[in-house]
Amino acid sequence: MSETHQDSGGNGDFDLTQFYQIFFEEAGENLDLMEQMLLNLNLETADDEALNGIFRCAHSVKGGAATFGFADVAELTHQMESLLDKLRRHELQPNSEMVDVLLESADASRSLLARHQAGGEGEVTPTADLVRRISALAAGGSSAPATAVPAPVAVAAVAAVEVPRTVTKPPAQTKQSRSLEICVGPLERTEQADAIQELFRDIPGLGEIAVLPTAVANTRLFSVQTESSDDDLLDLFAFHVSREFIKITERVASVEAVAVPAAGGPAGMFDPADDAQPGAPLAPLPGYGFFDGAPGAPVVAAESHPGEAKTPKVLPKVAPPGAAAQPEAATIRVAISKVDQLINLVGELVITQAMLAQNSRALDPAVYQQLLSGLSDLDRNTRDLQESVMSIRMIPMSIVFSRFPRMLRDLASKLGKKVDFVTQGEATELDKGLVEKITDPLTHLVRNSCDHGVESPAERLAAGKPETGTITLSASHQGGSIVIEVRDDGKGMSRQKILNKARERGLDVSDQMSDGEVWQLIFAPGFSTAEVVTDVSGRGVGMDVVKRNIAALNGTVEIDSAEGYGMKVSVRLPLTLAIMDGMSVGVGGEVYILPLSSVVESFQVKGDAVSTVGQGSQLVKVRDEYMPVIELEKIFQIPRFDFEKSCDIMVVVEADGSRVALLVDELLGQQQVVVKNLESNYRKVPNVSGATILGDGKVALILDTGALVRRSRH
Amino acid sequence: MGMMEKLDELATAEAREYLTFRLDQEEYGIDILKVQEIRGYEPPTRVANAPDFIKGVVNLRGTIVPIVDMRLKFNCSKAEYNAFTVVIILNLRNRIVGVVVDSVSDVMELPAESIKAAPEIDSVIDSAAVLGLGSLGDRMLILLDIERLMSATDMGLVSAPD
Repeated sequence: MSETHQDSGGNGDFDLTQFYQIFFEEAGENLDLMEQMLLNLNLETADDEALNGIFRCAHSVKGGAATFGFADVAELTHQMESLLDKLRRHELQPNSEMVDVLLESADASRSLLARHQAGGEGEVTPTADLVRRISALAAGGSSAPATAVPAPVAVAAVAAVEVPRTVTKPPAQTKQSRSLEICVGPLERTEQADAIQELFRDIPGLGEIAVLPTAVANTRLFSVQTESSDDDLLDLFAFHVSREFIKITERVASVEAVAVPAAGGPAGMFDPADDAQPGAPLAPLPGYGFFDGAPGAPVVAAESHPGEAKTPKVLPKVAPPGAAAQPEAATIRVAISKVDQLINLVGELVITQAMLAQNSRALDPAVYQQLLSGLSDLDRNTRDLQESVMSIRMIPMSIVFSRFPRMLRDLASKLGKKVDFVTQGEATELDKGLVEKITDPLTHLVRNSCDHGVESPAERLAAGKPETGTITLSASHQGGSIVIEVRDDGKGMSRQKILNKARERGLDVSDQMSDGEVWQLIFAPGFSTAEVVTDVSGRGVGMDVVKRNIAALNGTVEIDSAEGYGMKVSVRLPLTLAIMDGMSVGVGGEVYILPLSSVVESFQVKGDAVSTVGQGSQLVKVRDEYMPVIELEKIFQIPRFDFEKSCDIMVVVEADGSRVALLVDELLGQQQVVVKNLESNYRKVPNVSGATILGDGKVALILDTGALVRRSRH
Repeated sequence: MGMMEKLDELATAEAREYLTFRLDQEEYGIDILKVQEIRGYEPPTRVANAPDFIKGVVNLRGTIVPIVDMRLKFNCSKAEYNAFTVVIILNLRNRIVGVVVDSVSDVMELPAESIKAAPEIDSVIDSAAVLGLGSLGDRMLILLDIERLMSATDMGLVSAPD
């Protein structure tokens, strides 16, 4: 977004420049795709899918360009979009002329983008003629040769003034200019509303805006002349003010009728004569002559100034100093499947290397010195290679963190709280697949902190705390996992309240439980924090869902809280979904892997500890708790050749909040395993979540503890 | 697919190459283009609740591949695993499957005219999966539509549709 927005305070905590490169890449791809589809388009039998596809490309480029403040691109693509919209609605029949113009426009957009990417250097690509031709085509006519344009409209003027008019020239078209009254508020900071005015200035073709006086404090009232639908407007405004604060009403026709004559100037907005004076303000807004002194008015005046509307106004901000020095394409986009294949191959290499290392151990170092030193080099290189290959899938946590400041601000202002948001360790990297899946649970946790944790300013002052609460989101590597913490300095959780609530719900609790155990209670299904710690009802997201989502990623959640001082939720996740910490167990000569994150404890079982119920299900008593016993030998029909060994070790696993004891022969060890999909060549196997390859090249199945626990329930 | 269509398809096609293998006394042929590689047999990891002809899964350079013993599937009298037992790795529509056979004979080109339609017989092999019978002198080659055979639901290689 342009600096003006940041200066106005509407968007101070949101820096868009970091996303420029992504936008340029995506826009380039979209334009390429559009070109391809246009070239393949069969004019007589153009199907909806192709037209919709082309429309989507133009729409994406326009949306991005408008967001990033590249007004010239947004303008041109907007015109393309309007034309394509009519095509896909079958209001117009596609012809080769349209395709030509669209292709030319795509080229022009590309060179405009290239110019922005170079930091605003290079020749300006004139787009006025293209814009005019497209709108003529959209109006159902034919695009006359460029030289026939009677009024040589400067590029500069086009951006702001020419466009809306050309589009609406045939007023009978579907896109009608509408008069709207938009009420924004109540807002804590009315500057946010001012940012909306700037939207209208920065996005040509959006329409006109003027400020109307209002008696309500903290609220702004605008009159708007636009062709965009309410939804489009709300989407745009959402960059500055959340939807809930915006009310759009269609203005009564009579108001407009009064307004237009009041302008006293050019008779109507569709008057072609207007073209001659691009600087003239558009009717009917100036009609509100009474309010010329109102805060919004200068903006309107500024917009109509020919020089002001010039695109270069945006350009210098596009390129931060030094941007031109950036390499042209610092990234390449590669299909995930290719990366995964690379990871697979390296995994194979690591296994082969391990086998070599094992076989070479018996060799005499004196005789085979060179071979052994070669093998140790191989060992090091393979590890380095594996690390770098794994890092391809890694993306920094900042991608997740960056969405929270915005959300928190809205939430805090809605709740009337003051919250500072601090992030730490944004550079910590995490597997792409995990990042996508962790975003929702984290959003719940941050929301909860703001909603239930941080108190209102008055409460905080009364408690002797600073008025503004702090929510800290941090990420760090700890061993082979990543720990994400959500901390707040709010009121924390009340041990007693949770215990009371648990008793109400009939849960088995006692006052002797440790704090850690008490906090874990809030993860019980239906035990929402909203009911426990605050009076704000209906907002609390069930913590059980959060815990389940994180457990599905082989992660764990821990809570630490002190009443009156705040609370901390720590989410511990494996670095990647492709690698898992596993515990290998042996049953009758076969090896199975248990996800270590679900293993609670293991112990040698004594004969009398197991009791049966109804001659069937077996139960084992572990410290005052009976849990079902699952004999892996029976479930997996494992043949037994060695009858001297027997199952006498129990591994307690926990999933979905329940525990079961698995009966195994022996514990073989803990190791990191590469998770492989069993279903890509075979089919789903009950109670198995995947497979892995052991150090000796053999396949071992990974047990699905969730399914085993569910199985024990019925 | 009716018998005539199948023959038409075979007739219109150029002479195709078939990989031939033995199961007990019978000789079979499959389209060579479906074959990815041939390997020695190594004991697979057993998978619970699978039919007995699915021996389990093996690690094929990082990919988990199921192994089907054709001898068990076709009710051969004996199925021994020794140093000569071979696994043919098939690549069928991006799914990789290994099949255990007694031995692989050779690759031969069969002109369309030497392929005869198989008569309707009662057999453990679904007749739709038999493309025809190739005659090579006094030898008879059973040409299999291996893709159809492997994707049949009774093979248990794919999850049954819910």
